[in-house]
Amino acid sequence: MTAQTETKPRKPGLGILKSLLLMLPISLLSFLFLTGGPPGGDPLRFIAGIVTWLALNTLFFLMLYTGKTYRYRLVLFVALALTLIITFAASILSTRGSLALTEADILQGKTPFCHLVIPTIIIPALFTRTIIFPGSLLTGFAPIASMLVIWAGATLALGRGWCSWLCFYGGLDEGCSRILKKPVIKSIDRRWTYLPWAVLLGVALLSAATLSPAYCEWLCPFKAVTEAAAITSTLILIQTVIFVTLFVGLVVVLPILTRRRTQCALFCPLGPLQSLANKINVFDVRIDPEKCSRCKLCMRSCPTLSLDEASLESGRTLMTCTKCGQCVDACPRKAISFHIKGTKVGIGANVARVLFLYPTFIFFSAFGGGIIASAILNVLKLVTTGRMY
Amino acid sequence: MQGFLLGLANGTSCVVFCAPALIPFFMHEGQDVRQNLVTLFKFLGGRMGGYLLIGLLAWGAGSLLSGAAGYQGLLLGIAYVGLAALLLAAVFRKKAPAGACAFEGARARLSRWPALLPVGMGFLAGLKICPPLLLAFTGAASAGSLAGSLVFFLAFFLGTSVYFIPIPFLGVFRRVSALQIVGQFAAVIVAVYYLVVGAILLVAG
Repeated sequence: MTAQTETKPRKPGLGILKSLLLMLPISLLSFLFLTGGPPGGDPLRFIAGIVTWLALNTLFFLMLYTGKTYRYRLVLFVALALTLIITFAASILSTRGSLALTEADILQGKTPFCHLVIPTIIIPALFTRTIIFPGSLLTGFAPIASMLVIWAGATLALGRGWCSWLCFYGGLDEGCSRILKKPVIKSIDRRWTYLPWAVLLGVALLSAATLSPAYCEWLCPFKAVTEAAAITSTLILIQTVIFVTLFVGLVVVLPILTRRRTQCALFCPLGPLQSLANKINVFDVRIDPEKCSRCKLCMRSCPTLSLDEASLESGRTLMTCTKCGQCVDACPRKAISFHIKGTKVGIGANVARVLFLYPTFIFFSAFGGGIIASAILNVLKLVTTGRMY
Repeated sequence: MQGFLLGLANGTSCVVFCAPALIPFFMHEGQDVRQNLVTLFKFLGGRMGGYLLIGLLAWGAGSLLSGAAGYQGLLLGIAYVGLAALLLAAVFRKKAPAGACAFEGARARLSRWPALLPVGMGFLAGLKICPPLLLAFTGAASAGSLAGSLVFFLAFFLGTSVYFIPIPFLGVFRRVSALQIVGQFAAVIVAVYYLVVGAILLVAG
C-alpha cells in the first residue's frame, strides 16, 4: 500500500533524438569557438580544436542522454585543470624561457593574471581608489579585460557555478577528492566553512595596507604548479614553502582524505564573492522536502559542504552551492533538482537543468575549451617537432 | 593647525594601515557600539603613545628623518611581531560567559576583558612607520623645538583619528555570530602575516 502511494522517481535522461537536437546549438557554437571556422594555416591547431570539440560535445550529449551531470562535468573539470598546467607552462616557457619568475620579471609586471586575484583588486579599489594589480598593463589591457568580462558574465549567468564549471584550478582538488572510495576524515567542523571569508577579509585589508597583492605574494596554493619567483632570498624561500605547503595540504592531501574540495570550500577567497553572486543568479539547486527521506546521502557527498540538516528542512542549499550536480545525481529519490528561481520546485526539473547547462557549456567552450585545445596543440607539437611551443 | 590638516589629508591611509589588525579584532570581540568606542579610544591612546615615542627617539637621535630611517627596520620588526602576539592573545584568550560581570572583582574583569590589550595594539600600530607618518616627521622637523614637534604630532594624530570613528559601528552586527568566527580566522591570518614579516625584518635588521 505504501509502495503504491510513493511518488515514482522521474526518468532522468532524455531520448537520443531529443538529446541530439538539444545538442545542436552548442555543437555549432563550440565549433566556431574552438576551430575558428574552416581549417586555415595551422593544421595541428585545427586538429586540436576538433578533438576538443568532439570531447566537449560527447560529454554534453551524455549529460542530456543519461540525465547525469556530475560524472561528466568532473571529466571536463579535471581535464581543464590538468591542461591548464600544460598550456600555462608551455606559454611561460615560450615567452620567458623559464618557469621561475625573476626579480626583473616581477618588477616589469610580467606576471600573468588570474581570476583568484579579483577580490584583491575590487575591495581595496572600493575603499582606497587604488588598483593593486599583480601584473602589467603596459603590454595592453585586452587579455585582462577579456578575463574580467568573461568572469563577470559567467558570474551573472552561473553564480557560484563558476567554481564547478569554469575555474581552471578547481579540477585539481576535485580530482584528488575522487581518488579514494570512502573518506578517511568523515566530519569537518562547520566553522571552517567561514575561513574563505576570513581569507578574503585578511588579504583585502593587507593588500590595501601594503599596496601589494597579498594573496599572490603569500597564500596562493597554485603558485606551486603554475609559476613562482626564482628563489634568490630567504623571503622568497619562505613564500615558496608556504605555497607548496598549502598546495600539498589543501589541494592534494585533504581532498583525498575527506573526499571534499577543501581548497575551494575552506580557503579560496574568490568563493565568497561567487557565493554572493548566487543570491542574484537565476539558477539554484532545490530539495523537495516531501520527497526527501532524510537519508543525508546528499550531505555526505557534497564536495563543498553546501548542504546541512537545515537545508533538508528548508529545501534550499547553502549560498556556497557550486551547482556541480553531485547531490542531484546522488539522491535515490530524485528529490533534488536544478531549479529556476520563481518557478515551482520539482516541476520542469529537466528543463531547468538543460537551461542551466546551456550557458555553462557556452562559457566553457569560449573559455575552458580554448585552454584544453591549446594544451592538446602543445602535446601535438611536442610529438611532431620535439618542442611544446 | 598644519599638523591637524596634514592628518586630515592623510587619515584614510592611516586607517588602511591599521585596519588589518583593527577590523578582525573588533569583529572577533563582538561587542556593542558603546563598548567598541571605549576600545577604540584605548587603541587610539596607545597609538598616540607610539607616535610620541617615535618622535622622541628621532629627536633624541639628533636628526629627525635620518634617525628614524636608521631604526625603521628594527622598529617595524618589533611592531609587527608585537602586534602578531597581541592579536593571537586576543583571539585565543578565554572569554568569560556574558552576564558574569555584575559582581566580579578587578582580576576577573581583567581576565574577561584585558584593558591593556587595545592600548598595546594601538601603541605597536603607532610604531609601524607608514608614509603619512613620514610626512608628519617632515612637518615636525620644521617646528623648531621638541615641544613644537610634539604638538605637531598631537595635532596630526587628532586629524588622522577622525577616520577611525566609523569602525566601532561594526558593533551593530555583533549578533551575527558568523562575523565573530570570520573575525577570529582573519585575525589569525593577519597575525601570522605580521609574525613572518616581522621576523624577517628583525633578522634582516
